[in-house]
Amino acid sequence: MFKVTTEPLSIDEAYAAVRRDDCGAVALFVGTVRDHHDGKKVTKISYSAFKEMAEKEFAAIAAEATARWKVGAVYIAHRTGALRIGDASVVIAVSAAHRAEAFDACRHAIEVLKKLAPIWKEEFYDGGKAWISG
Amino acid sequence: MRIAVQLFGPLAEQAGASRLEVTPGGATVQDVVAAVAAAKPALKIDRSVRFAVNTDYADPSAPVREGDVVSLIPPVGGG
Repeated sequence: MFKVTTEPLSIDEAYAAVRRDDCGAVALFVGTVRDHHDGKKVTKISYSAFKEMAEKEFAAIAAEATARWKVGAVYIAHRTGALRIGDASVVIAVSAAHRAEAFDACRHAIEVLKKLAPIWKEEFYDGGKAWISG
Repeated sequence: MRIAVQLFGPLAEQAGASRLEVTPGGATVQDVVAAVAAAKPALKIDRSVRFAVNTDYADPSAPVREGDVVSLIPPVGGG
């Protein structure tokens, strides 16, 4: 349910992991590699992570969301390594009895992940690169 | 006391290493960070850098013990 992996992410896996008979909604967030940043053309992105700590943060994010909203289940996966334009870098799925809780908890999860998860992004451009945070 | 230190992202790049061992002058995160800064002068350890002991974020004043792994966490960019 919580993983940092070099393998391509599966939206089907995320959906199947959280779908439950007592939940009427699944909110799914997919972060994908964008082809531009601040007017520069991005050619690829490399993500690295402190895997064990990041996976623990994912579990903590899910526990917080479960305590705050009525959610059924939470799935969080982040990919590391060299990613190409369009690749999924993060997938979050949240199930809940109703859509409002699913949307709110999913939004919260990605916002907290971006602030706390020990994951780093290096963007590559034609003739340069930069570490991107926030 | 020998403490294992992990560096990530831009800090690993600046140091030219992602792991090192230091002998801190005291037993807090801050003491470990001071030893890392002395060992790797190229590192830019400013206020944006956070710290972890093993797999939890920790304040500079947090204690470290033999066997702990201290990580320097530069600004994160997941998502």
